[in-house]
Amino acid sequence: MNMVIGGAYQGKLNYAKETFQIPDGWVDGAFCTLEDLAQCRGVYDFHLLIRRLLEEGQEADRLVLEAAEKNPEICIVTNELGYGVVPVDAFDRLWREKTGRICTELAGKAEEVHRVVCGIGMVIKK
Amino acid sequence: MMHLITGGSGSGKSAYAEEQILAMQGDCRIYIATMDPYDEESHRRIQRHRRMRAEKNFTTIECYRDLETVELPEGADVLLECMSNLTANEMFRQDPPEGDVADRIIQGVERLRRQARNLVIVSNEIFSDGCEYASETREYQRVLGTVNCRLAKMAEQVTEVVYGIPLEVKR
Repeated sequence: MNMVIGGAYQGKLNYAKETFQIPDGWVDGAFCTLEDLAQCRGVYDFHLLIRRLLEEGQEADRLVLEAAEKNPEICIVTNELGYGVVPVDAFDRLWREKTGRICTELAGKAEEVHRVVCGIGMVIKK
Repeated sequence: MMHLITGGSGSGKSAYAEEQILAMQGDCRIYIATMDPYDEESHRRIQRHRRMRAEKNFTTIECYRDLETVELPEGADVLLECMSNLTANEMFRQDPPEGDVADRIIQGVERLRRQARNLVIVSNEIFSDGCEYASETREYQRVLGTVNCRLAKMAEQVTEVVYGIPLEVKR
């Protein structure tokens, strides 16, 4: 498993496609299912998948970690949330915190973690 | 030795900070808790942190404001968590004392540092979401940003934790 993280609109997906040589087989976290997650080569906007699961009242941490475990070669591209003021809205706080916890867990398992700023990646774990 | 640990929300800062204290292998560990529990969510957060610290032999001192009043035993390894709560508690208190908030916090930290064998401080990155906040929230960002900069200057070591991965900012 590899991870590409960073702020919004930093060119993370393009960076991931090139760096890990995955031209296709990507699914979008805004629409994909957990089965897609378990079978795809890569997922982008992963933080939106977590948001949808939480909105549905599902146990996002367990479901996502289980699906990722079935797909050990997956590349996960996600926005790094949690660098702003604590949100006023309780759901936003939950989403932001869960995304952090889930990604921390996944980063612990990942072979490589790259952090992208302005389209340029920095390898923070290898 | 003073070590400032910062990072985003849910990034594993606390777990990393606790590891740093354990690695010092001292026999006196103090945890200075700054979160003033005011609702169910904050109680849950505190419970979660207590579970993480259980069996790690920390003595907890609760200090929601007035850091300069804390008395430490000699030779302690101290973990202060976290600066973002302490700063908010100081800024939005009912009975604000005279003087600049950031100055008072830094004076409190200097005093802790003189008493402690090692001091580890956890802070928070709340500066990069690009939202325009109300003026008092912006003032909070300004004060915490100032405090973080001054702490980083004092510290021998500064680490940003990103999803559990420590990035060396200063060493």
